[in-house]
Amino acid sequence: MAFDMTMALFRPALKYAMEKNGHGKTLGLKMTEINRGEINLVFPYNEEVVGNPLTGVVHGGVIVSLLDTACGSAAMTVLNTPAVAPTMDLRLDYMHPAEPHKPIYVEAKVYRQTSNVIFCRGLAWQEDKENPIAHCVANFMKVDSKSINFSAIAVTQLRRLMPWGQRSSSEQESGK
Amino acid sequence: MSAHQDNHPLEDWQASVTAARLEKCPQSVIEMIPYASFIGAQAKIENDQLLYWLDKRPSNIGNPSLPALHGGVIGGFLELAAAVEIIYNLDITAVPKVVDFSLDYLRAGRYKTVYAKCNVLRQGKKLVNVTAIAWQDDENTPIATARCHFLI
Repeated sequence: MAFDMTMALFRPALKYAMEKNGHGKTLGLKMTEINRGEINLVFPYNEEVVGNPLTGVVHGGVIVSLLDTACGSAAMTVLNTPAVAPTMDLRLDYMHPAEPHKPIYVEAKVYRQTSNVIFCRGLAWQEDKENPIAHCVANFMKVDSKSINFSAIAVTQLRRLMPWGQRSSSEQESGK
Repeated sequence: MSAHQDNHPLEDWQASVTAARLEKCPQSVIEMIPYASFIGAQAKIENDQLLYWLDKRPSNIGNPSLPALHGGVIGGFLELAAAVEIIYNLDITAVPKVVDFSLDYLRAGRYKTVYAKCNVLRQGKKLVNVTAIAWQDDENTPIATARCHFLI
């Protein structure tokens, strides 16, 4: 398979954007595979996101977030110029509750794309992929504008790491 | 029914739900679910209907360059609201189990408070169908709608 320059550049930026910002960081998800049209991620169990306090099972909303993140990221990777592809809709079937204290694995694949729409499927499982906890389909719009400025996010992070490059927080968040 | 506070979490749960209904305080039901405080969801009664809201917080951002709310948080918030609607309003004993969830995103969720209302369309012996709608500035311009099925 030929070397994919766009993906080579996009992979660390997407991983950084999803793992180190906002809700992805709060959940503590990790992207384990990023390829064209295919994303794998893992979510370690976290008692803060329990939905049923009697059983310790995580809330379904977490599965929504994981699958939305995975499918949305997979949708981004099929664009020639990586950009945000807004979610049109997402449909989730819960086959059985997630077991507490075990990581959740998620895989998302783009199975079809047209000139305007990207169609994705996602799967969440724990020990056995053949016995998934949830399955989803999600559709995304292709839009031209409002691309995520991944390079700006990466530069901001590099500045934070450099001892001479401490910038004010207002400057770091100056993106429109 | 005798209350054995220490070894019967289900009875404790039911007692807490009953108390919340008597006090007309859906907030104490939502606080029993750890995920609610993880995203910061709250609930109150307004015009005899449950109103849910989610104040803005950095940990709920999805796209930092806009910034916009994470689509999954909006979905999780609506699923949570639907579950609380059932727990608070319907005469059931256990925690409802979600079977499926369908979400339509109508507008981007901006970095500000989101509100939600739910509607139980059908309650059967085993299955409940609930719809939920989320908005920010104006209830007539929703940012997302959802419907879910729960086993009770």
